[in-house]
Amino acid sequence: MPGSNSYTYFFVITMAVISALLLSVMKISLQERQEFNKALDTKKNILKAVGALEPVMNSADVEELYTLKFTRQAVRDSQGNEHGFYIYGSPESPEGYVLPISGKGVWSTINGFIALEPDKNTVKGISFYDHGETPGLGGEIEKDFFTSRFAGKKIFKDGELVSVTIAKGRLQEQSDYAVDGISGASLTTEGINRFLRDDLTDYLMMLGK
Amino acid sequence: MATRKNFSIVAGPLSRSNPITTQVLGICSALAVTVKVDTALVMSGALIFVLVGSNTIVSALRNLIPSRVRIIVMLTVIATLVIVIDQLLKAFLYDISKQLSIFVGLIITNCIVLGRAEAFALKNSMRESALDGLGNAMGYGLILLLVAAARELFGSGSLLGLQIVPDFLYAGQGGWYVNNGLMLLAPGAFIILGLLIWLQRTVTGYREE
Repeated sequence: MPGSNSYTYFFVITMAVISALLLSVMKISLQERQEFNKALDTKKNILKAVGALEPVMNSADVEELYTLKFTRQAVRDSQGNEHGFYIYGSPESPEGYVLPISGKGVWSTINGFIALEPDKNTVKGISFYDHGETPGLGGEIEKDFFTSRFAGKKIFKDGELVSVTIAKGRLQEQSDYAVDGISGASLTTEGINRFLRDDLTDYLMMLGK
Repeated sequence: MATRKNFSIVAGPLSRSNPITTQVLGICSALAVTVKVDTALVMSGALIFVLVGSNTIVSALRNLIPSRVRIIVMLTVIATLVIVIDQLLKAFLYDISKQLSIFVGLIITNCIVLGRAEAFALKNSMRESALDGLGNAMGYGLILLLVAAARELFGSGSLLGLQIVPDFLYAGQGGWYVNNGLMLLAPGAFIILGLLIWLQRTVTGYREE
């Protein structure tokens, strides 16, 4: 009977069950496609880090180039934990190395890849993806205008790992170890500064210094 | 006349009772997703889906919903639809869903959706409610598109990703033109939105009581 407590309970529970069922079916039926998209996006960002991603590439091109050009390897850090990375080109004469990086920005975990030249010192490129930073502010880190600033920077200064630091605003003077920041994204880039250095430290063994 | 009434249900929210410019609802997302036209388009599409769906379902259930728990029931309907569209976007329009990030999810809290369910769908037939949802969502979408077009044109010099301002006009390429960075930030959207509201109220003569 409408208006009674038992009717209210009955109605609310029915609604909840129907919605839950609908969403579960939805999630399961779309899961495969979503995971495919996610994996493809990761590969795209690996390609983007080494500068091999062209806007005209479709998903098959990305898959093909990725399979052709990248080999996954792992290295241990000083604590003995394993960290995976990618060799770009043939393992005998690599054209570069791609290291996954991730850490906390302002709102979210930022994932990315940093690509190094075969000298394991010069930055080839960088890419950020799968983050929840504020669109238009911190979210700008994934845009080309920003990521292109990293190319050619160095991570070692006199044999010491210094990483690349993102400045607040514009750099006061040109530096091999720093890039211009984004206004409105100071906290996001501070986060990146922190985890970029930490993550590179994990790969010291592989970077060979 | 039924058709005349139906027409005004759809057309009213496009201008006279526009949810954004007249009722000033849904501002948050209107600012957030209007940096570019393509995100604004997809966002409008998502809102049309959710609003038509929620109005129709709420109207169909209007005689069954216990009025004491009606808000929570309506929110369940809205939340379910929002998750459905969010999952669909992740499966089929991954790149755009990445740019829209949290804002599709935030349709749940968009006051327009709950507002129409409470104010209209609970009292009117399914057909009229669906039309009301369509009209309001299109009214929202119309403003979104206008704001996005202005912001993308003046902020990035492009529309739908196509460059409109010719290269040679830019300061870097020997010209004098500089994109207005303010347009890409939230204050830029506020200014455009304010101008639109001013324009619309001047034309329609609408006055706040």
